[in-house]
Amino acid sequence: MDTLLGWLHAMAWAVYVGGALTMEWVLRYAQREMPGPQVGVVCKNAGMRYRWLALACLAVIGVTGAWMLLRLDEAGLLARPGAPMLSLSDSYGRTVLLLTAAWGLLLATVAFMAFVLHPAQRKRSKPEMTKDEVAAERQRVGRAISRMDKALKFELLLAVVSVGIGASLHAGGLI
Amino acid sequence: MPDDPDIWLHIIYGFLHDISIAVYLGGAVAMEFVLGPAQAAIPPAQAQVMGQKTADRFLWLVWGSLSLILVTGFLRLEHMGMAMWHWPFFQTPGGLSESYGRTLLGMILLWCVLAINGALITWYFRPRLQGKLGTQTSAAHVTAAQTAKMAAATWVQRLTRIDLVVAVVIALMGASLKWGGLI
Repeated sequence: MDTLLGWLHAMAWAVYVGGALTMEWVLRYAQREMPGPQVGVVCKNAGMRYRWLALACLAVIGVTGAWMLLRLDEAGLLARPGAPMLSLSDSYGRTVLLLTAAWGLLLATVAFMAFVLHPAQRKRSKPEMTKDEVAAERQRVGRAISRMDKALKFELLLAVVSVGIGASLHAGGLI
Repeated sequence: MPDDPDIWLHIIYGFLHDISIAVYLGGAVAMEFVLGPAQAAIPPAQAQVMGQKTADRFLWLVWGSLSLILVTGFLRLEHMGMAMWHWPFFQTPGGLSESYGRTLLGMILLWCVLAINGALITWYFRPRLQGKLGTQTSAAHVTAAQTAKMAAATWVQRLTRIDLVVAVVIALMGASLKWGGLI
C-alpha cells in the first residue's frame, strides 16, 4: 500500500511538473515557427488539455499526500535517517507544512488559469461592434494573454521549487 | 536550513534526480496526450512542421534527463554508502542478495531499454522521416519513400509508447525502494 501511494504521488508530481516544463520548453519553441492563427488553435487546444491534466495531477498529489501523512507513525519516522518528527518544532514538520502551502498555491494558480484566465482570452467580437469597441476587445484579450503568461511562469517556478522542497524531506527537511 | 554541506549535497542530488525523472515522464505524457492531439487540430502540413520542431526539442530534454537520471542516481547511492567507483560498484543493501539491490538492477536494465529506444529514434528512425525527394524522382520512388516514412513514423510512435510504459514501471520500482524494493 505504501509503495502504491508513493508511486501514485511521485507519478502525479512527475506528470505535472514535467508536463509544465515540456509545455514551456517544447511548445513555446515550436510556436515561433507557426503562423499566428494556428498558434491560437494549438494554444487553446493544448492549454485546455494541459490545465485539466494539471488539475487532475494536483488532486492526486493532494489525496495521496494526505493519505501518506495519515499513515506515518512515530516508529516509521524514527527509523528514518535523522529521526525526523511531524511537528512544527522539527525541520521535517515545517517542511511538510511549507510543501502543503506550495501545493495549495499551485492548485489555486492552476484553477485561476483554467476558470478565469483561459476563458478571458476568448475574443468576443460581434458584427455590430464599432472600431473602438473592436480595438478595446483586442486590448482586453492582449492583457489576458499577458496575465496568462505571467501566471504560467509563476506556476512553473513554484512547481520546480516544490520538487526541491519535496526532495529535502529525504534529508530531514529544509527550514 | 541545514548547515551541513553533506546534507545539502544529498538534497541537491535528490532534487536533480527527481526533476530529471519528472521531465522524462511528464514530458512523454505531455507529448502523447497534450501536444499530439493539439497537433491534429491544425492543417497536416503545419502539423508536420510542428511535430518536427517539438520532437527535435523534446529529444534534447530526453537525452539530458536520461543522462542526469543515471549520474545523480549513482551519486545518491554513493552518498548513501551503497555504491562505489570500483568493482563490484554496489554494496549492501545494493547487492543482488537483497530485494533492494535486485530492484536497483531492474531499474538500471530498464534505463538501458530507454536509452536504446532513444538512440533508435534519434539516429535511426527520425533521419528516415526527414529525407527530401528531388524533382527528378519517379512515381515508384515517391511511393517507396512515402511507405518507408510511414513505417518509420509508426515505429517512432510504438517506441515512444513502450518508453512511456517502461518509465512508469521504473517509477513504481523507484517508489518501492523506500520500503526495501519490489523484486
